[in-house]
Amino acid sequence: MLLGHVWGLFTNPEKEWKNIRKENCSVGKCYCSHILLLAAIPPVSLFIGSTTFGWQLGDSPTTGFPTSFALKISILYYITILVGIFSVGALIRWMSKTYDADAGLPLSVGLAAYTATPLLLVGIMGLFQILWLYLVIGLPALAYSVYLLYTGVPIMMDIPKEKGFLFSSAVLGVGLIVLIAVMAATAILWGTDLLGLTPEYIDK
Amino acid sequence: MAAKETYNYRVVRQFAIMTVVWGTVGMLVGVIIAAQMAWPALNFEIPWLTFGRLRPLHTNAVIFAFGGSALFATSLYVVQRTCQVRLISDRLAAFVFWGWQLVILSAVITLPLGITSSKEYAELEWPIDILITIVWVAYAVLFFGTIARRKTPHIYVANWFFGAFIITVAVLHVVNSAAYPVSLWKSYSVYAGVQDAMVQWWYGHNAVGFFLTAGFLGIMYYFVPKQAERPVYSYRLSVVHFWALIFTYIWAGPHHLHYTALPDWVQSLGMVFSLILLAPSWGGMINGIMTLSGAWEKLRSDPILRFLIVSVSFYGMSTFEGPMMAIKTVNALSHYTDWTIAHVHAGALGWVALISIGAMYFLIPKLFNRPLYSMKLVELHFWISTIGIVLYISAMWVAGIMQGLMWGASSADGLLTYSNFSDTTKASWPFYIVRLLGGLAFLAGMLVMCYNIFKTLRGAKAPEGTADARIANATAS
Repeated sequence: MLLGHVWGLFTNPEKEWKNIRKENCSVGKCYCSHILLLAAIPPVSLFIGSTTFGWQLGDSPTTGFPTSFALKISILYYITILVGIFSVGALIRWMSKTYDADAGLPLSVGLAAYTATPLLLVGIMGLFQILWLYLVIGLPALAYSVYLLYTGVPIMMDIPKEKGFLFSSAVLGVGLIVLIAVMAATAILWGTDLLGLTPEYIDK
Repeated sequence: MAAKETYNYRVVRQFAIMTVVWGTVGMLVGVIIAAQMAWPALNFEIPWLTFGRLRPLHTNAVIFAFGGSALFATSLYVVQRTCQVRLISDRLAAFVFWGWQLVILSAVITLPLGITSSKEYAELEWPIDILITIVWVAYAVLFFGTIARRKTPHIYVANWFFGAFIITVAVLHVVNSAAYPVSLWKSYSVYAGVQDAMVQWWYGHNAVGFFLTAGFLGIMYYFVPKQAERPVYSYRLSVVHFWALIFTYIWAGPHHLHYTALPDWVQSLGMVFSLILLAPSWGGMINGIMTLSGAWEKLRSDPILRFLIVSVSFYGMSTFEGPMMAIKTVNALSHYTDWTIAHVHAGALGWVALISIGAMYFLIPKLFNRPLYSMKLVELHFWISTIGIVLYISAMWVAGIMQGLMWGASSADGLLTYSNFSDTTKASWPFYIVRLLGGLAFLAGMLVMCYNIFKTLRGAKAPEGTADARIANATAS
């Protein structure tokens, strides 16, 4: 079912993780029914927000992106999220042997994808480019993602809770490293104008 | 029992207690200046409460008073246990303790008075610098003298890290602090211009590399296997990791001076060596994580292990972030923004503070020969400090990237979009409040620790001569 597990992950995460494990969906199916759609929320919101409303910082006039530039970064943003989720999934699979879980790629990617659900949902804030709102709504979403990770790992990997705590911490570390790699890559693209990605701004 | 048959725990106990005390004081000053960043009026227009004077007090207190005490306590404990011999001199040990406290006290008095050499992380003026040198030499004699008299054939890897930290910090301190005194409390660096900047950041980066990394890796290599009750995952990796770190770190300083008057090739050299540093950093992290991975059954009953696990994860994360930020193009965005502050605190709070706290929770019950007052409070400390770090880092990341973008933004006709610096300040304001909340959470954790340790110590008997302080014979410890 399309986005079938989203509601359950908020109402009864432990039960929902068990359902996800039982389903044992393939990577392709997981991407089609869940990730492709959810991952579109942040880039689409960013595109609409930055081309129509723009943002206002300090005492300066409201600024936004020109449509062509907004389109370019929104598409790259979408690809980055999809690749990012897959990379974390692949790294989970690689680490699973260390924690005696030996999970397959589908379960590992599923774990990464469903853990990211709250973060992808709050991507809707891209519509309204108000920075402090990102923090007020983004931090609880981040906290809930971390909570989903710690509840999800022992269930999805079928390992004891204590071992799951260690594994989850390792996944969190890897996730942070992927995040920093994305931050650095973005800064390089902005700085070198490699793909014509140096930011352009227009007054709104 | 004769002193010869026991370890000198007195100096370790003194430094362990001061680690907790100075940690709390240093972080309190940090919280005060974080509040001043959000509400500048909080300096009440009193000169010695201004940000410019309290900021060096904060950095000196957390690095040299808190981090320093943790390193003295752990290195002097580890060197005795792993060499199976008492420190060579009790008097020298006492001199190192009281000498170092005098250094800290001088910093606490002179920095708020505005007495400073203006060198970052080396602000103390020349008379205090001389005192530091004397205390440091005494410390080196004490540490290496004890190693020379060891009863074990092997020098355990933790001692290699501590030894490298002691030697390199001595060299860094003496070279960087070389100055012409013009009066009792004022001196000028013997280096001029860009050379002065280069020497300063050769020192500054290696203060991070050897004081805050090599020394604390010494802590990791003893306390992680001890608390996990397992041998180090790979001893060979630890030795490779040691030499790789020693050879590479010393060259990375120029990345603090990208796009300055420093010759371009020196900047590139610094960048390349920073990227090579990824390898030893990860060697250390993998060794720590893999050693801990086998101890998962212990997690149920042992919140101290959590401090160690999370600290090693933050070590891996911040030593990945550092090389990324040393890439010139990334640095063009990140430098002079709060991204740097996020990076520093990922390392300082996440790695240095958490592993020190974990080591103190391990040490104090052993040193005072009684169990910790409350494991529940240790667990509480773990969670509030972790939440504090996350709040701190995420707020500063967002603020930093935003600042970098705002400063670089220009319109099609080439005018700066945000030509008023106050625009950036205004946009950063909400993040400064979140950072303050994160800092407050971390400080609250330290207060929980103070209470827990205070309750543990009340009525503690001195254990000199008890079974645990007795020098081991054949078994390695």
